[in-house]
This record gives sequence, C-alpha cells and structure tokens, in this order.
Amino acid sequence: MKKLRSLYGICFAIALLASCSFSVFAQSQTLSGSVSDAVTSEPLAGVSIVVVGSETESGVVIGTQTDAMGRFNLDVPAGFTALKFSYIGYISKEQTIQGQTMNVVLEPDVLLLEEAVVVGFGTQKRANLSGAVDEVDMEALELRSISNVTQGLQGLIPNLNIDYTAGAPGTEPIINIRGYTSINGGSPLILIDGIPAEARDLNLLDAQDVSSISVLKDASSAAIYGARAAFGVLLIETKRGGGEQMNVNYTHRTSWDTPTVIPEKVTDPYVYMRWQENSSDATPWDYINYSDDMYAWARDRSDNPSSTDAVRVNPSNTSQWQYMGNRDWSEYFLSDYGMSSNNTLSLSGSTANTNYYLSGSMDNQDGALQIDDDNFERLGIRSNVEYRLNQFFNITNLTQMTQSSRNAPSYLSGESSSMQSFYLLAPTSWHKNPDGTWANSAAGQLAAQLTEGGDFVDEYNKFQTTFTLRSDIIPSLLSLNADYTFRSEKRNYDWDYKKYRIGYGPNDVRELGNTAVYRYRMDYDYQVLNLYASLNKQFQNHQFSGIIGYNQESYDFYRVNTSITDVISSSLPSISLALGSTNTSDSYTGWAVQGVFGRLNYIFKDKYIVEFNGRYDGSSRFPENDRFGFFPSASLGWRLDQESFFNVDAINVFKLRASYGTLGNQSVSDFGYIPSMSTYNNGYLVDNNRPLSISAPGMVSSNYTWEEVTSQNIGLDIELLESKLQFNLDLYTRDTEGMLTLGKELPSVLGTSEPNENAADLRTKGWEVAVNYRDNVNFLNDRLSFGARLTLADAQSEITSFDNPNQNLNQYYVGAQIGEIWGLTVDGFFESEEEITNSPDQSSMVPWGAIPTTVGSIKFADINGDGVITKGTTVADPGDMKVIGNSEARYRFGINLDFNYKGFDVQTFFQGIGKRDYYPFHYVFWGFHQQPYNGGFTHLLDYYRAADDSPEAMSQHSQKYIDMGLANANTDSRYPVLQAWNMDVNTYGAGSTPNDKYLLDASYLRWKNLTIGYRLPGEIIQSLGLSQVRVYLSGENLMEWSEISDIVDPEAVTNNGRGYVYPFQRRYSLGINVQF
Amino acid sequence: MKSLYKANILVLVALLIMQCDDSLLNVEPKTEIGRENFFNSAEDLQMYVNSMIDWPNVMDLNHEQSDDATTSGSSELRNVMVFDLTAQDFNGGWSWSKLRNINYFLENFEKADVPQETLDHFEGVARFHRARFYMDKIQRFGNVPWYDKVLGTDDQDLYKAVDSREFVVDKIFEDLTFAAEHVRETASTGAVKNDVVRTYMARYALFEGTFRKYHSYLNLTSTADTYLQIARDQAKHVMDTGRYDIFTSGSADAYGALFTSTDLQGNPEVILLNRSISGNRNSGWWGAGFGQYEQSHTKAMVQSYLMSDGSFYSAQPNYDTHSFVEEFTNRDPRLFQSFAYPGWIINNSGTYAQGENGTEYIQEFNRNFTGYHTIKWFVNSAEATTQESLDVPVLRYAEVLLIYAEAMAELGSISQGVLDATVNKLRDRVGMPHLTMGTAADPMLQARYPNVANVVLLEIRRERRVELFNEDHRYEDVLRYGAGQLFETLPKGPYFSGLGNHDVTGDGIPDIKLIGETETIPISDNREVNALGKQLIYYRAGPYGSMASVFLENGTSGAVLARDSNGTFEAPKDYYRPIPFTEIQLNTNLTQSFGW
Repeated sequence: MKKLRSLYGICFAIALLASCSFSVFAQSQTLSGSVSDAVTSEPLAGVSIVVVGSETESGVVIGTQTDAMGRFNLDVPAGFTALKFSYIGYISKEQTIQGQTMNVVLEPDVLLLEEAVVVGFGTQKRANLSGAVDEVDMEALELRSISNVTQGLQGLIPNLNIDYTAGAPGTEPIINIRGYTSINGGSPLILIDGIPAEARDLNLLDAQDVSSISVLKDASSAAIYGARAAFGVLLIETKRGGGEQMNVNYTHRTSWDTPTVIPEKVTDPYVYMRWQENSSDATPWDYINYSDDMYAWARDRSDNPSSTDAVRVNPSNTSQWQYMGNRDWSEYFLSDYGMSSNNTLSLSGSTANTNYYLSGSMDNQDGALQIDDDNFERLGIRSNVEYRLNQFFNITNLTQMTQSSRNAPSYLSGESSSMQSFYLLAPTSWHKNPDGTWANSAAGQLAAQLTEGGDFVDEYNKFQTTFTLRSDIIPSLLSLNADYTFRSEKRNYDWDYKKYRIGYGPNDVRELGNTAVYRYRMDYDYQVLNLYASLNKQFQNHQFSGIIGYNQESYDFYRVNTSITDVISSSLPSISLALGSTNTSDSYTGWAVQGVFGRLNYIFKDKYIVEFNGRYDGSSRFPENDRFGFFPSASLGWRLDQESFFNVDAINVFKLRASYGTLGNQSVSDFGYIPSMSTYNNGYLVDNNRPLSISAPGMVSSNYTWEEVTSQNIGLDIELLESKLQFNLDLYTRDTEGMLTLGKELPSVLGTSEPNENAADLRTKGWEVAVNYRDNVNFLNDRLSFGARLTLADAQSEITSFDNPNQNLNQYYVGAQIGEIWGLTVDGFFESEEEITNSPDQSSMVPWGAIPTTVGSIKFADINGDGVITKGTTVADPGDMKVIGNSEARYRFGINLDFNYKGFDVQTFFQGIGKRDYYPFHYVFWGFHQQPYNGGFTHLLDYYRAADDSPEAMSQHSQKYIDMGLANANTDSRYPVLQAWNMDVNTYGAGSTPNDKYLLDASYLRWKNLTIGYRLPGEIIQSLGLSQVRVYLSGENLMEWSEISDIVDPEAVTNNGRGYVYPFQRRYSLGINVQF
Repeated sequence: MKSLYKANILVLVALLIMQCDDSLLNVEPKTEIGRENFFNSAEDLQMYVNSMIDWPNVMDLNHEQSDDATTSGSSELRNVMVFDLTAQDFNGGWSWSKLRNINYFLENFEKADVPQETLDHFEGVARFHRARFYMDKIQRFGNVPWYDKVLGTDDQDLYKAVDSREFVVDKIFEDLTFAAEHVRETASTGAVKNDVVRTYMARYALFEGTFRKYHSYLNLTSTADTYLQIARDQAKHVMDTGRYDIFTSGSADAYGALFTSTDLQGNPEVILLNRSISGNRNSGWWGAGFGQYEQSHTKAMVQSYLMSDGSFYSAQPNYDTHSFVEEFTNRDPRLFQSFAYPGWIINNSGTYAQGENGTEYIQEFNRNFTGYHTIKWFVNSAEATTQESLDVPVLRYAEVLLIYAEAMAELGSISQGVLDATVNKLRDRVGMPHLTMGTAADPMLQARYPNVANVVLLEIRRERRVELFNEDHRYEDVLRYGAGQLFETLPKGPYFSGLGNHDVTGDGIPDIKLIGETETIPISDNREVNALGKQLIYYRAGPYGSMASVFLENGTSGAVLARDSNGTFEAPKDYYRPIPFTEIQLNTNLTQSFGW
C-alpha cells in the first residue's frame, strides 16, 4: 500500500511536468560550437552556456548545455553580444559572439573568490565577505551516496558540528555551529530557500535538489536573522530552472546496510551461566542459582553443541519447555544486511518567461531489525517556478510536498529500551520451540512481541509553498521584495498493541499481552511574511548596498492524543472497535516573532569592507514588557593584497576580517512566563475512574527576557600559488549572557521549582581552520585533477556567572567547564587483606555498605587524606573527587580528498574528534559487575580472579570455560573482582561515580566515505541519446579507529553513557546518474 | 508601467495587512488555564482537591523498617543504626510541594460562587490533606516550620526557623477539627468523607498522645491526655455512626480475604478504599514480601500470635526451639491467613515465588532471608489482571476499634464492655477466645515493653500488632511506644535442630535437606528422594557470613539468621531524621535537634 502511494507520487511529478508547455523562443541567430578542457583538450559535457544579459533584458535566462561530446547549439536573440560558459571546477568565461561557430576552452580551477555566496536576504561575492561565512562544495556532496543532506555536511565545514545520537532510519541530526551554546540549548537557524526549517526537514531534503549551502557563523553575518540566529545560520537554496532545453536528470542508488558496532557477547551457555552465578555468589544476595542439572545441560551444549538440543521438555515439569541457547541474540534481531534505495528524477529548463525546476524523489531505508518490518520511506516533490512578467516584475513560486513514514513494530517504539533488550538477552535464551511457537524465553518473548505484538506508523506530511513578488523599481538599483510562505505539516502517530502467543509447553500455548490502540494527531501551521527593499549603488571606487526589511512568523501546533484498550479484533485495531477505557487529551503550543532588520554595506576600492547589521526583534515567548530587543553588529574586512605596499607574488589573496555583534536567543519554552494549570487524570481511582485533576501552577519570575549572545570574530583568508591553496582561519569568543535558569538556590520549603531568571552567563571560545588545495596536472596526456580539504575546529565553554555562592557541584558554578566529569581516582586493586585494613575506608563506595571489599576490589585514592573515600558536594570540598575529564568534543576534524582522471572520480572522506572523554555506565560496559541479571560482554572476561578454582570445581567446568582461562587466577586484569551490584549505576556507590581508570577515550577517526565514480565516454552516451552517465560505488562509515569502538559506536557517545543505541550503519551503495 | 504600479500596490497592500496585526505576539496557552479563570464553581474546586489524593498503595505496605520484618536491601532506619550517618547523608523527606499545592488552593478557593457549606466542605478537605502532610513531617523530624501560605521567592519566611512541635501539632488539629466539622458525610469511593477525616484524626491523636506520654524528654507528658481523648472521641464518633462493621462473610478466611480482594466496594469494614482496576489503574502488585526479593518477616512477629485457645505462645514449653511445623500448630487463625504455613498451596509461582503451581509450597530459604513468607497481600493467582486489580483498604474499621481500645486503656478507662466492643469483635471474627480484664501477663510482652505495667494495654498492643500486621502501622507504633530498642531485635527465621532432613509441609515427610557448608550438593540423580517420590531440596547451612545458602544461629543448628546485627538504636536521636544538610546551608536559621 505504501509502495503504491509512492508510485502515485512519481506519477504526479511526471504529470506536472507533462502539463508544462515548452514553447520555443523566437530567435534571430543560431550559434554552434564546442567546449573543451584547456589542458587536455577533452570535450566537456554539461557546460552551462548563458546569453549574457538575457535575464535583465528579456526576463528569462537564455542558455543551454553542452552535450556529451562537448557540443552545443544555441539560438541567440538579436541584441545580445556575449555568452557565458561555466562549469563546476573551471573558471567561468565570458566570450563575445563572433561568427556562427565558437570553440571555447575552459581553464580548470576552483578559485571561488568571484563566486557569489548566499548570505542573508541576498548574495555577496566571496571576496567581499567580512563576516565568518563558509560555503559547502555542492559537487562533493552530490557525488556521495548520502541519504540526506545533513549526513553529507558532517565534517565539511569546520565547526559545523553534526551529530547523530542513534542510527535508526530517519533519526534527526543534532546540528550545532561553534560548540556549546547555552544551558538552555540553542541551535542554528536553518533556512531553506529563505524560510526557517527544522532539523528534521533536512532529512526530507534530497541532496540532488540543493544548489547551495552557506553557513553563517558569527553574529555579524547572522544578525539580519535576529531572534533565532544567535548560534549561526545554515542557508540552503534549492535548484532553479534554466537552460533552453529541458534537462532531465535521473539518479538511482541501491545500498546495503549493516550495523557498525555491536558489543561482542559470550555465546557459550556454560561460560555465561557460571560467570553469572559467580557474580551473585560473591554478594549477600545469592539470587542466581542454577541447578547442577542445568549446568550439566549447559556443559553438553558447550562441549557438543550439534548433538545437544537447545530445547527440551522440563524434566521436573513435563508440561513445560526448557531452554539452553548458545547464540548472540543481537545478531539474530539486528540484521546483517538491510537494503535501501533512492530514486530522484528532476526536470529543469526554461521557456520565454518561465524557468522551471521540477523534481520527485523517493527513498526507502531499511532499519536494522531483521525479524519484522522496520523502515523509513520518504517521498518528495518539488516545483520551483519563476515567472517574469516584464523587466520590473517577477513572481516566483516554490512548492514542495513531502511524505515520510517510519514503520516498525510497536514493541520497538521506545527504541533505546528495545535496543537494551537486544543487547542484553542472555545467550542461554531461545527463540522457537520445536513445534514452531515462540519460546517462553526472553528471546522468544521479544520476538513474539515484535512480530505479533502490533505495529506503529509514524507518518509525516508536509506541504509548503512560497510566493515571492519582486519588483525592480529601478533596475539594478532598488528592488522591493515580498514573500509569503505557508507551511502545513501533519503528523499521524498510530500504533497498536496486540496479543501474542508463547508456547510454554508441548500442549500449552498462551496468549499474552494487552491490546490497545493509540492515535496521535498533530498539526503544525506555520506562516512567514518577509518584506524588504534592497539597494545597490556603485560609483567610482565606492560601492554601497543596503537592505531594510520586515519579517513576521507565527507557528501553531495542535495535538490530539487518543488511546483505548481492549481491542475487539486484533486484525482491526481501531478506536471504534474496542471496549476498554479511552484516554483522550489535547495540547496546543505556539509562538510568533516580529522584527525589523537592516544592513548597510560599503566597499571602497575592493579593499576596505564595512558592514553594519541590526535587527529589532520581538518574541511571544517573553512577557509583554520584555518582548522586544535590539541586536546590532558590525564587521570590517581589509584586502591587504590590494594594497600597493603588499608585494608578495605568491600570495593572491590576503584578507583580514573582524566582527562584533549581539544577538538574542529565544530558545526557551513557549509559555514559560505564563503561570497556568493543566488538567490530568490522577493516578487514584475515585468511583472507579481516575478523576480529572488540576494542581497549582509553577512559579514564574518577573525577571524574564532574551538571552543575549555576543560574539567576536577575527578571521584571516589567504590564497597562495595562484589560489590553488586556500587557507581560512577564524578565532572567536561567544558570550551567552542572561541565560534563563534557576535563580539563586532557594530552600525547599518553597515547594516548587524555582522560577527561571536571566541569571547565568557562559563564554565559549574557539577557533577553526580550513585548508583547501586544488590542482591539476597533465598525466599521460590526460588531466589529473585532485583536491584536498582539511578542516579542524575547537571550542570550549565555561560558566562565567551563576548564582551558586557555595559552588555546589549539583549545579553549575562560576568556572565550571561545560562537560567536565568529576570522578574518583583509582589506585589499582587491593592485593591483600592487609592492604584493605591499612587503606582508607572505602565503604561509602560500596552499595548499601553490604558487599565485602576484598582482594581484587577497586582501591580508590584518598585524595583529601581524611581516611575515608567520599564524594563531596562543593568545589571547595569535593571529597575525593576531582575533574578527571571532559565529555565535550574537542578538535573535530575532517579530511576530504578527491581525484579525477579519465572519467574516473574518486573521493574519500575521513572525519573524527580529536579529544573527548566518556565515562561508561550500565550493563553494556559493566555486565555482571553491575547486577547479576545481564552481562556476558566479552571485554569483561578480563576480571580479577585471585586463585585457580579447586579441582572439584574444575571437574564441573566445560572445556571451553577452562580453555578460556576462566577457572584460573587472573590478577593482572583490566576489571576488578567479580561482585554483582558493586558497579551498579542505580546506587550511590562506585557504579554511579566516574573514575579515572575506566574513563574511556572517546576520540575517534572514522573513514566516513569512499566513492569511486566513472563517467561513460562521450561517444557511447551520445549514441544512446544521453548527455551524461555516471556510475559509482560508494561506502559510508567504512571503518573507525577508537578506544571505544569495540563496545559502542564512537558517534553514539552522546547517548548518556549507556550505550544502548540503535546501531549505526555501514553502507555500501551502487548508483547511477543519467542526464539527457 | 501599469504592471509596475500593480506590483507596488500589491506590496503596499501586504504592508497594510501586516500593520493591522499588532496582536501577533500575544500567543497564549489554549489547553491550560490560569488562576483568574479558575476557582469559580464547585466542579473547579472538586477538580483541584482531586490532585491532593495520594493514598497508600500496596507497594507501601511493608514493614521492612520495623521489627516485624527485615530486608536484605537498604532501609533507612537500619542504615541509621548500623552506620554512623550524619545530616550530610540525608536528602529525603524534605519535600514541600504537596503543601504548596494545598495552600495555593486555600488562598484561592473562596472566590468560587458557591454556597458557604460547599466552601466549607472543600476547605475542610484541603485542610485535612494539609494535616496529613504535616503529620508526616512531625513524625519524621519532630520540629518543622509551619507555613499556611504560598511562599514567593522574596518571602523572608523562606528563611524562618522551625516551629515547636506543640505549635505545629496544634495547627494540625485545628485543621483536622475544622475538617471533621465541615467535610461532608458521603463521598465517592476513594474520596475524602467525614469518617475518613475522623479516622485519620483518631490515628494521629493516638500517635501524638502516646508519643508525648512515652517520650518524656519532650516535657510534653502533661499534654498527652488531651490527644488521647481526641483519639477516643473521634474513634467513638465513627463507631457511633453505625455505618461500619467487622467483615465476616461467614467464611473462616474473612480476615485474609480483605487483603487479596479485587473488589472491596461495599465491604462494611472499609472506611477508605484505594481501588485498582487492571488496565485503568494498576495496583502495581509485585509479590508484596513473598519470596526472595529483599523483604522477609521475622520470628518475633510469628511468635506474637496467641495459641488458638487464647494462651500465650511463650507459655509453650521450649517454644523457642519449635520446628517450623510445630510453630504453625494450634495458633491464632490470623497467622494462617498472614503467613505461608506448612501445607499452603501456591498458585502463583513466578519470579520470586518458586515451586510448581497447585502444589504444597516448600518454604524457600536463602542467605539473608528469614524463610518466612507472608501471604497477606500475596495474590495467589498467576492471572495478571487479578494481580493488577488488588484493592487496598486504606482505613478499616478494625483500626478504629483498636484506637478506641488503646486510648481507653491509656486513659485508664478500659473495661470489659470496651474490650467486648472492640478487641473481642476482632477475635470473634477468627474464632479466638475473648480477651478479659483479668488476663495474665505474657512475660514475652513484658520484656518487650518494660515501661508498661497495664497488662490489658499490653494485650491490646499485641492485638493491634497481629490484626494490623503488614498494614504499615508497626514502625510508627514502635516509635510512639518509645520502644526503639525493639528495632535491635535480630531478624530470625524458623528453627532447625540440626543438619539432615526436615519436614516443612507438615505431613511428617521430609522436604528439605540441610548439609554442611563445605559439602557439595549432589547432582540430581544422586539426590535423596522422599516417601512421596520427590527429590529433597538441598541447602548448605552454615554460620552467618559463610558461603552457605542458609545461615543458622549455631552454624549447624538454631534459628535461621537473616542478619547478625541490626546495629544500635540511639534514643532519642534515632526516633527522628535530620533535616538535609544542604537545607541547613541554605537557611541557617534551621537547626537540627535531638543530637543530629
């Protein structure tokens, strides 16, 4: 059904296209010619050719593209005298029309200085930028087989930080510019075609549709966006139509995915059971006791796995099955290879007054779950149409529709908890009974829940349309713009639970579980209005440009949740077909912003650049009196290379930049300043119903307004060796002031959370470097072009003001580094009873003071020398804790390399984090050391064993157990003596406190991508009537190097130290791109 | 040029539309409500007081802090007694959000346009909840600050010192008195009605009266009778309504049925019911003290039950060395409705309770557990919907009768008539002989409460302990009796005469076998089989702290020991808990008392 719908979508796109009429423009001169590479003389296919001045004069761009043999034909109306040839990777060339044949050579180059960079409400020549603005090389992005734009952006721009917390299909990225923003959060403003968007929208955007991406990093460049741009701006523009002939572009990709990292587990049942029992034996709570029979069975399974069954009838209760599995269940549940595919079709071109770009794309991504449906589907249609009425008046409409749906079993809906089950299933568990029913064992129950227990569908539909009116009142001097955008999003989150069947015994199959239906309906409405006037004036050595404008946006979100239990028929889960009690609630939230903005830019002799930006912004999120704020900024640029005194030939560009500005951050809750009460159903029954209840509102403060973010930036751009080598450096400081947080800590008798006030300050300092090199050489009579891009960035944040006079460690305090990890110091393991007696008292680190400290236990160092190991509460008195590390990522880097030779292109990309600490909690890291219920992770086999087992014990062990050395002493171990609960994260003991010995180095280097492509030679595709064909092979997340990569994906460490993440995927793709 | 004008006019029109929209930034919640639009009707007031309901759940009904039970996990009192804790080790008990919620109501409810009687009723309900809130605070800390208003961030009262116990308790009883006078007599099941207020008032008054009487260092002994009289009068008031009676049903198990029922609506003994209906509101049942999860009950409790002829168990020769089966012979029938006895059939074998369903339960032993298993609150059914529908009688009439009897005894007004109207009604239900004014003294009780000379009072205390076992009373009772030393009692389990075979199901056929701590349990083919053809269950027995699976007092014989020490109870300090240290740092006017 879903597939069918996607198909409809594609048909719709084609129908749209067919309905466009392609009239041929009246012309007066026909030109033909060819374009080739200046070095190799190879013909260049797909070179864009535009009649210079056609847009301003006739209202539409007149142009074409070279075919596969590098040839072109173009009808040029009378009155035009020049053509412009441009091609990615080559210097654009303007050539005067002479005669009817033009043979043009293009110089390979990547010097982007003259290219226009998209900035707020306009474009700017790269050379004339004075703020910290970066641009993404779209070619690099298009060639890779990424499933969405954000994946491709990772590591490309220094300090544009993109993290995924899990590898589930459709996972939203966390996007950050320049490090830690505010204790209340704060993310960059994302604009797609000038309209604010959410990070999730990037998942819905096909990389093929994108024409440019700019990143505005500092206050000065972002200022024009005011309220939400405090932490940078990501500007994305989609493609527009052009070219006289219709250009059809089709791309297909098929990928195979496999999980990157899944922690390795013991599969041998005897080893697992003995290990587990040992962990509980050493505690006062001897909860795990396997009978000798079970050990005997386990030993047989271990010694003779093929001749011993995993399932038997329980000898002491013949009506029931009994199990003895021997496998790693995460492999059973999480697939080895899942398939994904992507199709995109775009059509672009122009007619007399119209430019069009139409595209449709379809994505299908399989998740990791093997035993049932788990996937993400996306369908997108985009129509970008420009219509020019005459030389003054231009109308544009950009419309897009997207539909995505995430399908998975209901019991997988709390993804991290399901992942926890996959990772933690005991190897001794089993999935199926001999009669084919699901086993009455953890693996069988989970499998039954996933396959029979109901499904969820998370459907998301988005429709957005933007109308733009542009009026060039005085062409090339003054223009007025008005655009209005309407976006409607609907999200249906439906899931149901069904009963599932478990075989308890040969004749005992039971139905378990509850039935329920959940229907969540969410509506988002969003409207944007922008009005602005822009002015450009150049005379002699002076160039002025300015913008003044108005913006307003409003957003509404409605949600209705309904659920019901006791479904009549499990094949028809529906609210109407259920008997149980219904639970319905609704909620609403909304916000609006309003602002007036302006920019003034002055450039003298292309040497000195001055720019002022300002915005007066209001937000509904603040009380009426504190609603508006004014946020100004300024920047300066100086092209030293243009100065007469600057005489270094090797340096082509030497530019200094500086900026300073303040912006507001409104990333606080929508109604944070309004004390209101919400209703809920109390958890107690009154007359057999949970009564509707309402309770006191929380407290709000009178001191509540914008957080102010002030940033200072100094930048240096250098280009050397005929601009083959480019170097960019930026240093910045960003102060986030007046962060809304708890005011001074008040006594608990207040009876509620303290209201938030603008009470805390934070300073982030950082730098970023990008180095680009691009060159080409003649190699065996062919052009070998190659490029490299290195990025490196760092940021660190510190609390500069916080009302915590006692410097309690449970709150931020002045001087606190964001991400700092307080922990204990480990001084090895105890080696003798004497050492325990003579050492500082460790009992406060022992859960409930109950587990004996013994030889092989962790020995904590008594840093403060008071004879007791304690955790303190303040900075002045931290007990035996100190800062042992920092969890914030430092030195993020990316390395991009590419080569082109004889139609082959190779690109590879490495990405990583240079410094980051990670303290692991929970079973994946501590197994039976945490509690005796879950474990078996192989890294933990290296635990302390004081002595060899007795001969009696030895005689009971399986051969495998003995071979693995588990029956022998192991005093030089990585992990301490085996005692369950000792590292229990839920107690206040050692398990809940980081320490330096087990602090892990979470820095990593990841081979993110390798793509090898080949463009078919021109003759062949010419004969097929095509203009370009490229095939490629690509791999994503190919390898990683990290101390933690045996246990958890190094990109997943943002997930609070527990490590239960939906696996990240390695992806191998095969793709083809056809143009005609 | 015409189109140029058109274009610019369009832009201007758009601008004009914009300008009208000056309310754009006034976005307000639509599914929440502010105080100005609320507190108007009786429905509003009802909705608000619904938020104050927080009755005890089955999860809360445990005794692991008292001398009735022990835990292999952590309990606050034991930590206090075993470890040398200081105020820095505490951060619990100092939550004030419930009080703010109540005071917010009391500051706003009067604006409702409803009759005075309605206002009074709701004021009474809210003040009743405030009294409950403060009684918990008094019981934990002894002295706390009194607040009857909603505090603001600038309020200097945030930093006030504690008020005296007398002051706060007076305030509590002012609230309760108002509530008793104004809360309506009828209410929905689970909601506050007049008898609920009065029963709580009687309970609190008994607590305060006896606490003051037996904690002489407070110098409040002279005021004890005032509260004992309130306890007496409020209990009598509830008795005189005639609305309640002891539940009998004609079944011998009527007592036990009160604690494992899925529907107690209409039960004459229940004054306040906390209902559960599976799927709508689950009981959260988890085994409630049965089996092998941390909690187990003690010999001291088992020994508290009388013989079925009304004689003292302590009068049985060698009672301390009775076997498990002997211990459960000819006892108060309530013992058999409270504990898994020899021959009891298990129907809910699961995570914590082992054994095959439908068979005689064979007592399970484990390190740090006594080996006694309570079946009061144990849902003996594997059906999840039954387990999740367990009803909890929060207040039952039996308690009212016991409050009345104890208050009368403490006030010196006890008589045979009072005993017959109270204790003996409970005994009648289970067919126990009556308690008489001339009863002899049980040396076991005298040893437990050396400061009580009144023999009838001792028996009323026994009756209370037995009748209200596992209903969350014992811990507070020991506190108010001033009998904190009882918490030092070692938690013991059944007695074993030595290693070898033992019968625990009462059929004279051995079921379990104790072997020495260093012996190896044979594999199943080599295990001894009893006359029923069942394999014996083997345990290694040894002294406390050994690697054995059962700890015995004398290593190879004696009672099972769940712990070898409960620490030392330090009076009066350990009757209280300290104010969390961080709170004293934030408000230096707060002071710790009682040696904390």
